[in-house]
Amino acid sequence: MQEEIIKGTSLWQDAWKRLLKNKLAVFGLIIVVLMTLTVFIGPILLENFAKITADGVPRDSALLKSFAPSQRHWMGTDDLGRDQFARVLQGGRISLMVGIISTIVSLLVGVSYGAIAGYFGGRLDNFMMRVVDGIYSIPYILVVIVLLSVFGGPNTPGWIKSLSVTFGGGEGMSQIFLLFFALGLVSWLTMARVVRGQILSLKNQEFVLAAKATGVSTFRIIFRHLVPNVLGVVIVYATLTIPSVMLTEAFLSFLGIGVQAPYASWGSLVADGIKNISIYPWQLIFPGVTMALTLFSLNFLGDGLRDAIDPQTRKF
Amino acid sequence: MFSFIIRRLLIIFPMVLLVVSVTWGLIRMAPGNFYSGEKKLPAAIEENIKEKYGLNEPIYMQYLIMMGNVLRLDFGVSLKYTDRPVNQIIRDHFPYSATLGIFAYLLALVIGLSAGFIAALKQNTAADYASMSLAMLGQSVPNFVVGPILVIVFSLWLYIFPPARAGGFMNYVLPVITLSAIYAAYIARLTRAGMLEVLRSDYIRTARAKGLDEKTVLFRHALKGGLIPVVSFTGPALAALLAGTVVVERVFAIPGLGNIFIQSVLNRDEPLILGIVAFLSILIMAFNLIVDISYAFLDPRIRYE
Amino acid sequence: MTRSSFGQARVSVALIILSLFVSSCTSSANGRFYGKTEVPKANVLKYVSGSEPESLDPQVPTGQPEARILMAMYDGLLEYHPKTMEPIPAIAESWETSSDGTEYVFNLRKNAKFSNGDPITAKDFVYTLRRAMSPELAAQNAYLAYYIKYSEAYNGGKMFVQDEKGNFLIKKDFDPESGGGEASASTIGADSGFHQFIKAPERLTVASDTFTLAKTLEGDDKLKPFFKIKASELKDSSAFVSQVNNGTDGVSRLLQAKLGNALTGCAATCDETAKQNLIDGLNKILAEESLNSAENTEGLTLSEAAKKLIGKFEAENKKIADANQKLDQEIAAAETAEDKEAKTKKKKKPLTKFFYTNRVLLEGYYSGSFAKMPLVTVKGEDMGVEAIDDYTLRITLYQPAPFFLGLLPHQFFRVVHQRTIETHKENWVKPQNIVTSGAFKLVVNKPYDQLVVEKDPNNWDASNVKLDRIEFYPLDEQTTMMNLYKANEVHATYNHTTPAAWNEVVREFKDEYLNHPEVANEYYCFNVKKFPTDNPKIRQAFALAIDRDGLSKFRKTTKPLFNFVPEGILTKYDEARTKIFAEELKANKISAEDWGKRMFDAEQARRILTEAGYPVVKDGDSWSCPTFPVDKVSVTYNTSESNKATAEFMQSQWKQNLGITVPLKNMEWKTFLPVRKVVDYQGLARSGWVGDYMDPYTFLNLFYRDPNDSSTGWHDPKFDKMLDEANKEIDPQKRFEILARAEFLMLQNQPVLPLQTQATNWIKKPFVKGMYPNPGTLHAWKFIYLERDPSKWDTQVENLMKVNDAAVDEQLKQLEASQKAFEANKPAASKPAAAKLD
Repeated sequence: MQEEIIKGTSLWQDAWKRLLKNKLAVFGLIIVVLMTLTVFIGPILLENFAKITADGVPRDSALLKSFAPSQRHWMGTDDLGRDQFARVLQGGRISLMVGIISTIVSLLVGVSYGAIAGYFGGRLDNFMMRVVDGIYSIPYILVVIVLLSVFGGPNTPGWIKSLSVTFGGGEGMSQIFLLFFALGLVSWLTMARVVRGQILSLKNQEFVLAAKATGVSTFRIIFRHLVPNVLGVVIVYATLTIPSVMLTEAFLSFLGIGVQAPYASWGSLVADGIKNISIYPWQLIFPGVTMALTLFSLNFLGDGLRDAIDPQTRKF
Repeated sequence: MFSFIIRRLLIIFPMVLLVVSVTWGLIRMAPGNFYSGEKKLPAAIEENIKEKYGLNEPIYMQYLIMMGNVLRLDFGVSLKYTDRPVNQIIRDHFPYSATLGIFAYLLALVIGLSAGFIAALKQNTAADYASMSLAMLGQSVPNFVVGPILVIVFSLWLYIFPPARAGGFMNYVLPVITLSAIYAAYIARLTRAGMLEVLRSDYIRTARAKGLDEKTVLFRHALKGGLIPVVSFTGPALAALLAGTVVVERVFAIPGLGNIFIQSVLNRDEPLILGIVAFLSILIMAFNLIVDISYAFLDPRIRYE
Repeated sequence: MTRSSFGQARVSVALIILSLFVSSCTSSANGRFYGKTEVPKANVLKYVSGSEPESLDPQVPTGQPEARILMAMYDGLLEYHPKTMEPIPAIAESWETSSDGTEYVFNLRKNAKFSNGDPITAKDFVYTLRRAMSPELAAQNAYLAYYIKYSEAYNGGKMFVQDEKGNFLIKKDFDPESGGGEASASTIGADSGFHQFIKAPERLTVASDTFTLAKTLEGDDKLKPFFKIKASELKDSSAFVSQVNNGTDGVSRLLQAKLGNALTGCAATCDETAKQNLIDGLNKILAEESLNSAENTEGLTLSEAAKKLIGKFEAENKKIADANQKLDQEIAAAETAEDKEAKTKKKKKPLTKFFYTNRVLLEGYYSGSFAKMPLVTVKGEDMGVEAIDDYTLRITLYQPAPFFLGLLPHQFFRVVHQRTIETHKENWVKPQNIVTSGAFKLVVNKPYDQLVVEKDPNNWDASNVKLDRIEFYPLDEQTTMMNLYKANEVHATYNHTTPAAWNEVVREFKDEYLNHPEVANEYYCFNVKKFPTDNPKIRQAFALAIDRDGLSKFRKTTKPLFNFVPEGILTKYDEARTKIFAEELKANKISAEDWGKRMFDAEQARRILTEAGYPVVKDGDSWSCPTFPVDKVSVTYNTSESNKATAEFMQSQWKQNLGITVPLKNMEWKTFLPVRKVVDYQGLARSGWVGDYMDPYTFLNLFYRDPNDSSTGWHDPKFDKMLDEANKEIDPQKRFEILARAEFLMLQNQPVLPLQTQATNWIKKPFVKGMYPNPGTLHAWKFIYLERDPSKWDTQVENLMKVNDAAVDEQLKQLEASQKAFEANKPAASKPAAAKLD
């Protein structure tokens, strides 16, 4: 066991060195870190120093319109006169949360599923993989749309509502929590396949056989010994799932079933902005550039990580 | 191989029934119904409607009737568009989506393959970085942004292409470009990665060592191997294309199936939702099967028992 | 490429694009017209008609997008005036109204033809209406024709009831206040056997479930669970009654449609066990309600039994009402909010008249006094529609409805071809089968793409039809249609199509942008049944705290509304309203100044709220109302850009003026509807109403009877009486005055918070002439033409309604001549009611 850890550490160090050599990936990493910090700290600073909040509607009805960028409103205002910069920051929180939490959901499902199928093999594996094949062939977006329109609004199941309340979002956020699950539940398939493949090749290695011989429980073998060994691949896929989930969220927002008012996401801001592009171009440009830049960086980072951690897998 | 195909074909039907059942359950759980509207209906009118559409039957009977329809592949008449049977709606409107999807995918293939190919050959040069950055950009900008921008530039500013509506060739130019952008980007990345891997492999080294000229090596041997990830992408891509067309259909007012599906969900138009879901599932499963079969031809290492 | 140049490249690309757009919009804004503006070579109008039409059968769809298309394809008795939407002659060249306003005789023109050349006769209209009302067609619009005698009964599958002697029971014996019981005093047109029947006093009809009547009750699974639910749920009789009256599903539907009535039907068809089951079920109800047993109805005639029962119910009602009143006083005196709420909960809802009829029959059946009562199904032939001869049509209403003529241009009343429908069944609207009656006939129907109609040479008015074709584009994506408009690919759009954010740019095009008042309002409903909005003072305070001028400035396209009936369209009603409100103010000792302030008076709002027990206090430079139960109110609205904007505006107004932050709740449309319908929301809910016809009644009717369509839970018998009275009034101006009084009564109770009169908000190319921003955006297409001479194009369309267009005026004059001539030749006595044309 001792040796495993040492070897593992050097693997990660290796990967880190390789990643640093990839300029595009480093660029991506810096942007992602900066963006995350800005998005989570920015609104607090704005509120305390400039007294600007994302949902602050001006009292004077003459100000209830879209203004071009100015010194006070760096990114202009939206149709209701709300500060666009604050909204982009708040939207970023939600977009990143959608990306990250949905990816975590997909990880939880995908990794356990893949690990179990891979470890037990045989008929169970065969059956579980056929199920994955089957689900692959369902037009997933249809499922998401039906799910969101059916369970959106007041029909949100109680446990999602209470989750939302527990995490400080209040009941109003439950639509967003629903979105996390809907998106997570449709993006675990690739993860399951990849993890299964890795586990298949690992499960006959000596450290597993040793664990078995010393009577470690199956559950422990899978989740304490095997899963940590496929972490590299998992991280790579997670990094690539985040941007694709964020893009899907944007698409749903365009259809009007994604994040609901008064909350905004980059996707919903961009979807609103594109409608007014020829009149208030700043409504599209700022959220659009921010979103594209983030996705861009996440993709580069994901690619870089893949090259660094797992040079063998080059398929998507 | 043959038995593999048969097995895959056989699994399609239970899968479709399952998908349809789940969808049906979801629709029934949703509040509201197809006839609820701004004006309240007098009780008598509501009763007439319920009777007409069999909503007074016990729920299990309604389910069985629905399943019977699915098995006969006849979904009845749309509840919203009462003049039109669901099958006819699918027949009328799928061609629009298919045209869009096929041309967009072809365009994406042409652009993506050549960009990826060039990038792989000139790895780590300006051409490589440029095409890969463009590809990343294509994957980072939603197509509901690309479409309107193209419209503003080419329709409202330059007056070259019509801004919307189905029609002749000119009408399809902008929607096809819009739809293909993201796939071109993805294919370019896949091709590049696949090609790089193949170029480093033993059999290419052997071919080169044999003294074959570079053209033959690249186009006869390397390209075929580099295509495999692209082929495997086609399955999920087609599924995603169906979703992608929704946006393009809305932005360009093309009467395709994608937008009709969204509307049918918002309208709670049960037969139409079920019909489209069943149709698309069958289609995607069939495509996945074709993709799997074509693997075998592209890559001699793959065998299906 | 270096690391940082990616970001830079992205930004510079964005900046280039930005400058492109800015330059492109400024260049177009400098032009006189919005985008490309060229008269098309062909004489074809391209029109965006809204979402995809649900059906081309004029009796089926309910929406305006369909109405616009169907108006081109079908003609009715009357047509909408292109500017005012008042009825003008179409297939009926003249008409006459009986002096009591319950009968109409239409004289049809003899040259009217279907698109296949068949003549259009009175029989076609009889067929059209009978089909429209048939339960089998299940038309959602059927309620529009409910004023026609027995049409509601036919549509609802109801039955006439005969008594022991074989005479039909008369409605007024059972429900003396329902009105319409009298025999028609005045008649017009030739008499006939049918006419004798239709003008006799209105018969009692009972809703019987004709669909399941054939089955015995025993075999009806749906009734079994009902009996089970009953015993447990009927602890509280008022809950039971309100369930019956308000519910639309479950127990109450069964009660209403099946039990209350199918039971009577069962008399004829059920076997002994089924009857026993029934009686058991009834016993449970009656025992729970503790109203019956003591009284014995045996030996009485039916009418006597009915009267006795009505008396009993009224006594019960009175008891409840008195108790409620007492509770009201206690509520007013209550000190804590909890106490208030608890008391409010105790209030009972009086039994309603609707229920009486059923009860009478139930009771009668139960006591066995009319166990063998025969029932006769109401048929289409019983409806008050009669072809006196091929070109004379008589329509009989069950009560006067002065707006009835205004309803007739609606697509629901437009004529269809019997043989085509009977031959092709549901396929009759397919392009290869369809036979139409309008100025245009269908040539191409590509759903979601386009629907093309072409001038029909067979139409009676073909010589006046100016367009060769109309291409309808079923689109509802606003940006897309604006793009098409700018590229000259469409020539006009339907209403509410300019995206809110674009409005500032678009409205600068004075020759194209049309924003006129509409026969539609937007308001917030108060839930008057739930704490705290059950307190009229709180409702008033909330209403007073809204700056509606600010709201309409913010919304850009709407006009502020302080009353309920939209302002600025029904000018005669507006006049009556001004007069009556002044009188009412005097009577109620309200100064005109105070009344005027109700538009927006934050100070008064705070005072009233304080009086109501929730003091508003100064908190720094803003207000706060710490005791107000904020968690008990919210604004519920259906998800949409503009609803969201309005709700957010309202929220900020209440915050600013009352110091109350009302939470907002949005719901998807189909989810929202049932919540609002059963008045299940907290505090306020967003609502709007588009008039079905050009008359204040279409709005006030929302509050008529209980339960009503207002989604507020508010109801006042005085209000109902006023509306009944108004409709019996023949003189239009006096009628408007009574309606205005009713509106005043309702407004004083503030069950709603009127916000704005909607406005048309659409654009058309200046070369499209004869197309007006009328209050419903419903265009009579035969008046529209394309003007090739730019000097004659429409300019300054703000004034379009006042500009006279010689071509349109001439056409209107020709059309109206027949009715004018008819009235001139008539004896003066029966004139007033038919004077709709001025």
